[in-house]
Amino acid sequence: MTPLKGTRDKGQGARVCEGRRWIAALVGGQSWLAAVSVSAQSVSQKGFVELRGTSYADSTANDSTRSTGELLLRQEVAFKPASWLTLAGSVDLRADSRDWSSSDWTPDWQDRGLQRPRVGISRLAATVSRGPVTLDLGKQYVRWGKADVVNPTDRFAPRDFLNVLDTEFLAVTGARAVLGLQSDSIDLVYVPVFTPSRTPLPNQRWAPQLPFDPGRLPPGSQVIDAGRFLAEGGQYGARWNHVGSGFEFSASGYRGFLHTPVIESLATIAIYPPVVAFAQVYPRIWMVGGDAAVPMRAFTLKGEAAFFGSDDNRTDEYWLYVLQLERQAGEWFFVVGYAGEVVTDARQQLAFAPERGLAKAFLGRAGYTIDTNRSLALEGAVRQDGDGSWLRGEYSHAVGQHVRVALEGNWIRGSDGDFFGRYRRNSNLTASLRYSY
Amino acid sequence: MRFIRAKLPLVPCPLPLLAAAAVLSLPALPAAAQEARAIMAEVQKRAEAQSQHYEGLLQVINAQGKVSDKRWAFDRLGSAGRSKAILRFTAPADVKGVALLILNHPDRASDQWMWTPALQRDRRIALQDRSTRFFGTDFSYEDLEERDVEQYDYSMEGEETIDGAACWKIQSKPRQTKTSQYTSSLVWVRKDNYVYQRIENYIKGEAVRRLVYSKFEQVQGIWTARLLGMNDLRRKSRTLLTIDKLQYNLPLREETFTLQRFWRE
Repeated sequence: MTPLKGTRDKGQGARVCEGRRWIAALVGGQSWLAAVSVSAQSVSQKGFVELRGTSYADSTANDSTRSTGELLLRQEVAFKPASWLTLAGSVDLRADSRDWSSSDWTPDWQDRGLQRPRVGISRLAATVSRGPVTLDLGKQYVRWGKADVVNPTDRFAPRDFLNVLDTEFLAVTGARAVLGLQSDSIDLVYVPVFTPSRTPLPNQRWAPQLPFDPGRLPPGSQVIDAGRFLAEGGQYGARWNHVGSGFEFSASGYRGFLHTPVIESLATIAIYPPVVAFAQVYPRIWMVGGDAAVPMRAFTLKGEAAFFGSDDNRTDEYWLYVLQLERQAGEWFFVVGYAGEVVTDARQQLAFAPERGLAKAFLGRAGYTIDTNRSLALEGAVRQDGDGSWLRGEYSHAVGQHVRVALEGNWIRGSDGDFFGRYRRNSNLTASLRYSY
Repeated sequence: MRFIRAKLPLVPCPLPLLAAAAVLSLPALPAAAQEARAIMAEVQKRAEAQSQHYEGLLQVINAQGKVSDKRWAFDRLGSAGRSKAILRFTAPADVKGVALLILNHPDRASDQWMWTPALQRDRRIALQDRSTRFFGTDFSYEDLEERDVEQYDYSMEGEETIDGAACWKIQSKPRQTKTSQYTSSLVWVRKDNYVYQRIENYIKGEAVRRLVYSKFEQVQGIWTARLLGMNDLRRKSRTLLTIDKLQYNLPLREETFTLQRFWRE
């Protein structure tokens, strides 16, 4: 077995008093920011407060809680002290009913914990623009790829998967240089500190599958969660994008780590009663890939493909690809496609890999704009062998200039062995209320 | 050849010699078509500016009379078929930061990309999608493109008085190189200052959108409508665009109008 490498997660202590001072500053700062943005064109801000409530149709074997409440306050500020320099930051304040947010009020810059930070610096970056060169330094979002739903080349985009079907991107801390000409651009990214995707909590309904079924272990067995072993070392990547007359494509390369974990079964400590242990590890990988968008007469053809290689025998080597057709017609927007996977070297025991979980499936998305304030969206996937399916419907309604109400339903079906099927008891209904300012 | 009758233009500049030379150099077209093209060339010439900036208030009024407001900031660099433009929503708050980059080309349809901050992604607006309404307004993506005079054929349809202004009525049809949802347009050009008074767009003979210009002002020597009303004749809805803080020929950087930069500003 490959020895575990990396940094063991550390617990987080609660420093409530210090945190409250930050919250007071955050909330009090809102009115100050509004005043500044009026007096100076170089400062802009926006933000929102969102309340979400989710209700699940069923309880699961490891989770009897059937409702979740979440609160998120996000404040974004951009400051442009000179024409060539922009400073941008974003702060999140979170609370919820399911321990998804940490109880520690200390602002968290790195966002690498098992839980979401109570107070998170979700973005803090300086952008320097000189001629055709743009340099982004700090915590930032880097998005690659052109496809929807699955993006094999999007390697600097870890996500928060606490709710596997309702995810959010996490920013990475690093440097990005873009040489941008009108038709071609070169994108170079270096990220010195690894940011993993946030996996579902182990005692909750979205928890990743374990390498063994705890229910089938003999009485008296002990299961040890050895935690996460975060990868150490830099990640880097390059992407060349070409915009042609009526088409565009890119080629990209990446060397770094899987941002979703492989669930590694550790050596059995005692034979009987068994003591079994598992850990989440993030093997080193490399990726070469590309994407293209070709608008045709009736629709736009988009494709994205990548090969994932690794010297680490804990992860597979495989191709992941997406082909999709996109069309906007009147008030409708349609995307239909297929995500495929070809494993060239099967090695891993088990992984939490939602991206691969969407492979070998037909994907679709449809949106309908009812009017300027209301929209409907449908999104879903059906496994090619029919073993699993997921359908999401959303209705969104803006009320006035600041309020948006949304209703969302997820319907999940499938068998035990399927990525969707594993979550078949997680069909849910979500209502959200957002006040933007 | 009949010379254009410019009735006391408010801009102290009758038809310039350059435009006349352009008319003389045209291939053998019927006189009315030459006249129509010359008028359109003059419209474009008089509106020419190295750059433009404005802040727009969009009021979308649906068939039931319900009004919803949006605001955007618009920047354009260059003109006459080679311009580049960025449109950024500034309100309401939940669409703030959404941006559209438009690269106009003299010989073909423009390239357009939409930036959505929530996704941190840009998306190319395909040619076949340009007839779609732009962000719930009554403007389609195509309506946001520059109308370069060289991309259309023209014919003179007569003269009409629109909203009290004497106008030339000109039909324009997109040339083969110009991909358009509209099969033709009727354009009313004011005789006094060579600006558009109204544009009516047709698909196979059916009028589908009508753009009405009003509140004309001279800004830095350029006659400009400060209020544009786009009527979707099928949906029976309309969008009013009020142009505020308008400036021409201000220094804008070329690099801003690139795919890599337009969403960062």
